[in-house]
Amino acid sequence: MELAVVGNSEFVTGFRLAGVKKIFEVNNGELEPTVEKILEDREVGILIMHGDDLNELPEMLRYTISDSVEPTVVTLGGSGESSNLREKIKQSVGVDLWK
Amino acid sequence: MGVKDVKPTRSELIEIKKKIKLSQSGHKLLKMKRDGLILEFFEILSKAKDVRSELDAAYEEASRKIGIANAVDGTITVKSTAFALKSKPEIELESRNIMGVVVPKIESSSVKKSINERGYGILGTSSYTDEAADAYENLVEKIILAAEIETTMKKLLDDIEKTKRRVNALEFKVIPELQEAMVFIRLRLEEMERENTFRLKRIKG
Repeated sequence: MELAVVGNSEFVTGFRLAGVKKIFEVNNGELEPTVEKILEDREVGILIMHGDDLNELPEMLRYTISDSVEPTVVTLGGSGESSNLREKIKQSVGVDLWK
Repeated sequence: MGVKDVKPTRSELIEIKKKIKLSQSGHKLLKMKRDGLILEFFEILSKAKDVRSELDAAYEEASRKIGIANAVDGTITVKSTAFALKSKPEIELESRNIMGVVVPKIESSSVKKSINERGYGILGTSSYTDEAADAYENLVEKIILAAEIETTMKKLLDDIEKTKRRVNALEFKVIPELQEAMVFIRLRLEEMERENTFRLKRIKG
C-alpha cells in the first residue's frame, strides 16, 4: 500500500522530497472530488492532508474521513485531527481526557 | 416487551427466569469487556498524545527546513529535485486483535534513505534540500506511527461506545422489563390460584 498526499503546491512539495508518489496538488474547489477519489482508491493506506483543508470539506465528508480506517487520514497543522479525536473521546467515554 | 403482552402461565415464567439469568450473565460479561477496553484505551491515549505532539513538532521542523531550502535554492530547484526521487515509501497493513476489536498494525519500509539512495545528484543540490528531505522522511515515519495509533484509538472508542450502549440497554431496559414481567406472572398466578380456591369453596357450599 502507498501513502497519498493532498493539498496545495506548498504543502505537497516536501512529501515529494520524501519519495511519496501519490501526490494530488489541488486548487480551490478541487479538494472535495479529489479526496472522494482517494478514499475509493484501494491502493492508498494513509492519506495525508492539512488540518485547514479538512475544515473546508463538507460535514458529511469530514465525518466519513474521521471514521475511515482504510485509508487512515492523518492531518497536519491546524487543529483538525486532535479536535476530532477529542470529540470522539468525549462522546464515547463521557469525559474530556485529551488535555 | 410490555407486561400486557405476557401470557401468565408457568411455562412463560420459567422461560422469563431463563432469559433473566442469560441477560444478567451477558450484562456481567459486557461490563467486563467495557472495562477491559477502557483500560486498553488509557494505555493507547498517552501514546497517542505523545505521538501527536511529536508529529506536530516534526511537521513544524520540516516546514521550516523546506522554507529555508526554497529560499536558498529556489522553489523550482527544490521541486525539480523532488520529482527526481525514485524509491517510494511502502506500507503494509496487518491486523491484530484487542479484546475482539480488530486494529491495524502498519509496517513501513524504505522511508529513510541515505543521500545516494534518493536518486538526485548531490552536486546539483545544496545541503538545505538534503536537510529538508531528511526532515520530511522523519515526518513520514511519524505519520505512519500516528496513523496506526490514532486508528487503533478510533476503533477502540467505537467499540467502547457500542459496548456501553449494550450494557446500558441490558441494565436499564431489558433486565428491568423481564423482572417486571416475572413479577406480573407471579402475581397473576397467585391471583388465579386464589380464584380457584374460592370457586371450589363456592361449589362445596
